[in-house]
Amino acid sequence: MAAPAAGAGAMRVSVLSPEQTVYEGDATSVVAPAWNGQLGILRGHAPLMALLGEGVLRIENGRETLRFQVSGGFLQVVDNVITVLSERATAA
Amino acid sequence: MAKARELKGRIRSVQNTRKITRTMEMVATSKLKRAQDRVAAARPYAERLGEVIGRLLTPELAARYPLLRQPAAVRRAAVLLLTSNRGLSGAFNANLIREGRNLLRDLRGRGVEVELHVSGKKGISFFRYQGETLGNAVSDIGDRPSAEDAERLVNSLMDGFVAGDFDAVYVVYAKFNSALSTPPTTLQLLPVQAPEDTGRGGEVDYVLEPGADEILGRILPLYVRNGVYRALVETTAGFYGAQRTAMKNATDNAGDMLNALTRTYNRVRQAAITQEIAEIVGGAAALE
Repeated sequence: MAAPAAGAGAMRVSVLSPEQTVYEGDATSVVAPAWNGQLGILRGHAPLMALLGEGVLRIENGRETLRFQVSGGFLQVVDNVITVLSERATAA
Repeated sequence: MAKARELKGRIRSVQNTRKITRTMEMVATSKLKRAQDRVAAARPYAERLGEVIGRLLTPELAARYPLLRQPAAVRRAAVLLLTSNRGLSGAFNANLIREGRNLLRDLRGRGVEVELHVSGKKGISFFRYQGETLGNAVSDIGDRPSAEDAERLVNSLMDGFVAGDFDAVYVVYAKFNSALSTPPTTLQLLPVQAPEDTGRGGEVDYVLEPGADEILGRILPLYVRNGVYRALVETTAGFYGAQRTAMKNATDNAGDMLNALTRTYNRVRQAAITQEIAEIVGGAAALE
């Protein structure tokens, strides 16, 4: 995985669905609907792979809060790069 | 002048044909562009998914998933053949159907019972005509196949495989190498061919929520569905590529034909004029 090209305090997020890249950009915090409850991720999080349930994925990038409806799939965190894969991911 | 009028009519008819094929070529070109974008847009998801599965999957785990079950002997198989709904695309559908028939013959030759599923009117009408019983015939997938379309096609096959109704599932589709190269391809969908661990990112010690086996159990079906989705998208792009080529050839041929016809027409017209002059000169000479 490429080193994060983001500035301090930021992470790189991409939200992918089978059909397209739904979102790609920086984030200061991410709250995801994991299989067993909400999961918050900040910079420096340990490498993680988590299953997602159904709900709203919130991406905070310092300027605004983006919301995406996701259902199933999983989330991967490594070196401040977050990848969210979900069969249904749409901007909400 | 009877011949000249006939030729004129043919010229007009070829001109009209060329107008139509040229328009279809342009439409196919723009649809191809969009379909190509969809092929590219599907890539990151598929790559990531393959990467993660390759990383999590270990031989010890593999034996526990029904989707990875390696049957001792293949006795019943399912083939999913993707074709297009429309024609005017040269040998595109014929190639896919041939690949499908070869696979059927090969499997049946080995004593395997095969259930055939077809998407696309061209494939459906061919195999209906052949008297083949189709397990599932879908003809309402448009030029923008969605992940739901793929799900609709593959879910019954996955259930069948898990339940032990099938020992193998294949999909025949047009691989999209480029607009000019879309070879028919057979892909073994089930049991899942585990992607190689690409080793990208090195050895990372992940925190797994929940465990590796639950995660795999949930994302393996995603991987299978994505395989079909990509096959659908690539086939659609391949179809428009083939259609563009076919329509370009038709336009070129119409142009050639038009040239030949125009030349003949001019020759006939000139011959008529020459003859008329000869007659006048002859008539004048007779009067002297």
